[in-house]
Amino acid sequence: MEAIIIVVFVIGYLCIALEHPLKINKTASAILAGVLCWTLFALSSPTESLLNSSHFARFLEILKLELGEKFPALSQNEIFRHFVVSELSHHLASISEILFFLMGAMTIVELVDAHHGFRFITDRITTKNAKNLLWIICWVTFFLSSVLDNLTTSIVMVSLIRKLIPNKDMRLFFAGMVVIAANAGGAWTPIGDVTTTMLWIGGQISTAGIIKVMFLPSVVCMLTPLIYLSFTLKGELGEINESDLKDKGESVGGGMLMLILGVGALISVPVFKTFTHLPPYLGMLGGLGILWVVSELIHPELDEAVKKNYTAAGALSRIDVPSVLFFLGILLAVGALESMLTLHNFAEYLAHTLGDNRIIITLIGLLSAVVDNVPLVAASMGMYSMDVYPQDHLIWEYLAYCAGTGGSILIIGSAAGVAVMGMEKVDFIWYVKKISIVAIMGYFAGAAAYLFIEHLTGAM
Amino acid sequence: MEIIVIVIFVIGYLLIALEHPVRINKSASAILTGVICWTLYALFVPESIEHIGEQLSEHLSGIAGILFFLMGAMTIVELVDAYQGFSVITDRITTKNPKTLLWVVCWVTFFLSALLDNLTTSIVMVSLVRKLVPNKNMRLFFSGMIVIAANAGGAWSPIGDVTTTMLWIGGQITSVNIIKTLLLPSIVCMVIPLIYLQFTLKGELGHAGSHDHNKDESHPHGGHPHKKVKGSKLMLFLGIAGLISVPVFKTVTHLPPFLGMLLALGVLWVASELINPDMDESEKKPYTAAGALSRIDVPSVLFFLGILLAVGALESMEILHNFSAYLDRTLGDNRIIITLIGLLSAIVDNVPLVAASMGMYSLETYHADHMIWEYLAYCAGTGGSILIIGSAAGVAVMGMEKIDFIWYLKRISLLAALGYFAGAIVYLLIYPYLAVHP
Repeated sequence: MEAIIIVVFVIGYLCIALEHPLKINKTASAILAGVLCWTLFALSSPTESLLNSSHFARFLEILKLELGEKFPALSQNEIFRHFVVSELSHHLASISEILFFLMGAMTIVELVDAHHGFRFITDRITTKNAKNLLWIICWVTFFLSSVLDNLTTSIVMVSLIRKLIPNKDMRLFFAGMVVIAANAGGAWTPIGDVTTTMLWIGGQISTAGIIKVMFLPSVVCMLTPLIYLSFTLKGELGEINESDLKDKGESVGGGMLMLILGVGALISVPVFKTFTHLPPYLGMLGGLGILWVVSELIHPELDEAVKKNYTAAGALSRIDVPSVLFFLGILLAVGALESMLTLHNFAEYLAHTLGDNRIIITLIGLLSAVVDNVPLVAASMGMYSMDVYPQDHLIWEYLAYCAGTGGSILIIGSAAGVAVMGMEKVDFIWYVKKISIVAIMGYFAGAAAYLFIEHLTGAM
Repeated sequence: MEIIVIVIFVIGYLLIALEHPVRINKSASAILTGVICWTLYALFVPESIEHIGEQLSEHLSGIAGILFFLMGAMTIVELVDAYQGFSVITDRITTKNPKTLLWVVCWVTFFLSALLDNLTTSIVMVSLVRKLVPNKNMRLFFSGMIVIAANAGGAWSPIGDVTTTMLWIGGQITSVNIIKTLLLPSIVCMVIPLIYLQFTLKGELGHAGSHDHNKDESHPHGGHPHKKVKGSKLMLFLGIAGLISVPVFKTVTHLPPFLGMLLALGVLWVASELINPDMDESEKKPYTAAGALSRIDVPSVLFFLGILLAVGALESMEILHNFSAYLDRTLGDNRIIITLIGLLSAIVDNVPLVAASMGMYSLETYHADHMIWEYLAYCAGTGGSILIIGSAAGVAVMGMEKIDFIWYLKRISLLAALGYFAGAIVYLLIYPYLAVHP
């Protein structure tokens, strides 16, 4: 049964990648793949390795506590059924956290955009040279992403380049570089990316340690593709066309206020998390709620129908709901593989056959372009124990780098990539042809830089 | 701290109820209420943060199950509607006698609403009544009865109404049992007002004017494609089969219903992309699920998220539990309390009411299919008909037909209340014979 589920996953994956030739929307394929994986998993009988795993043993402990004297009456099948439902519920909770976070961020950005709030930034960037602009955008993304999460950073930056670059073909390259820069920028700070944060919370890395050794490799990871594109990128930014000028004429008041509130809300999300220890989506929703109320109160003179465009209700009707469902489907499918311990077994198989940790972790980074990097890092944290590999050991730092930046290689490999794909309609195949190769170059260049630095400091 | 959280919750609730005078969208109030309740809980209650995080994550996974279910159902209905699939049903009604027509419309509404959500049913049926009943005064009575029939029809099927769905997803009721025990009370709830109107309703349907023909094309959601496309029957068939298969999926796999709904959506989505291969991208867009998704009501999804999070916070702080214990002590009988909850649902939204009741009574004490859950499904589902603002169906009909709050109160409320109590009495009489846990 496990083999069938993997086949379903791979077919689903192919349908997503071949969205355009097949003419089937990728969201439909993702949803069907996710549902089928879980259905087959629920209908299968559990494998031996699953029943003997420590993961399953932990679940049994909890179930015993919950059910009390009813527990011994359960048959093997019923216990497995409980296991599947509880796994699904865990995955659904963490997936929803991401999705509601995404919906909140997208709505806030859309709302600021409706008030033409980004004009206050884009008006300041006056360069007309495509290459200069690319450097500016990448560095801003890199540092923004080290403070904010990659997803928010890429949403904000893509909204900006939409205003700055009317030429669609050129904009796609910028969007691709935003993904690379956002992922690279997230890898070197403990709050910049989910996986780095996981390792930081787990105690595998320390704040000062990770910044010190990881900054340079992350910069290299972004610079290599950037330098390459500086020589090869051709084309114009395009003229700001008539409709944009017309927009300026029609603009309503409150643009500055909405920009400050919007950026304030996004920045306050990590603060909210540190302060309350509640998951970030609640902070994002709180920010959205405040912006929503302000957007309703700011235009008392407009009538209902016109006002609708400038409120969060109007912004919500413009956000990309199919992308949200796409995310739901693909994360459910990966969740099923994770619950079946397929990912875990795969990582262990790699460890047995390959031997050297550095090779394995490099491969984990490449793998994170295909599957979500959160379960990969979680699996790796389970594979290696803290007793053998102490805090700030090479494998933890290298893992933070690889899992953080390897996702740039495919557009669906990182949250930033998926968001950009949703916003800019970047095609999977286009990204493979034009960006993947430069992303790989950056990935290996950064990895080499890290291993070199580690070698030098280790030798001293 | 509990007091402050309760005060925040009540203020949020008032802002939601007074949405129109205050001019703040109820989704915004609901989201802020939810976030503030949890923030206060996390910051000021001496409870370990891991424990609070676990509670929140448990609530979120339950809420997300409901929300993705709703999004799936709304998209499927929207998609069938885009293909004008419902006209396959409504085109068959041809009678000219007002009383006969009223019976036909009510029964169609009743059974349609058991499959679709109440909101969609009432929108579809009111659009139909507009075509069939040109006389405005007569049409108001039809609209009022559509509200009653839609709410009654939603109460007895697990996929017919948000509140019944919540109880079903939560495991408080099972499909077969809820249909068995609530079908008769729901029918009584609709038939009593219908019989009354049979004797008192006077007037003509009126003649269809030519200008009415254009007007009836308008749709409250706006932006609807109204050109004929092929595939109406196929989409109607797939949509209804998809909705019906959701409870079957749950029974076979024991997985939560939102997965079944997503499966149905996925199948319809693929069908909608393949059904018109000759159209180009932009022409095709309104007829695919991607287009349907852009027309569904995302603010109400966030409204449910906010209000359910807020109720979840109250539940985790055991405020609801204490409140129910208080009610038990003062009122004594569960049946009285639940009857009151039903009446209350005419004023406030029934989703938080049912969510609160689910938190008040634990599944340990009251097993699945216990009398209180079934009675709650009935009361919260049908009590909303008593006022026009009491249910989503009522609000939609009010918006479409410009029904006056006071007119409804004078002409329909009494009938609705009669039906509500008649159905309640029938349920209380028959449940000892039908219920699993009397």
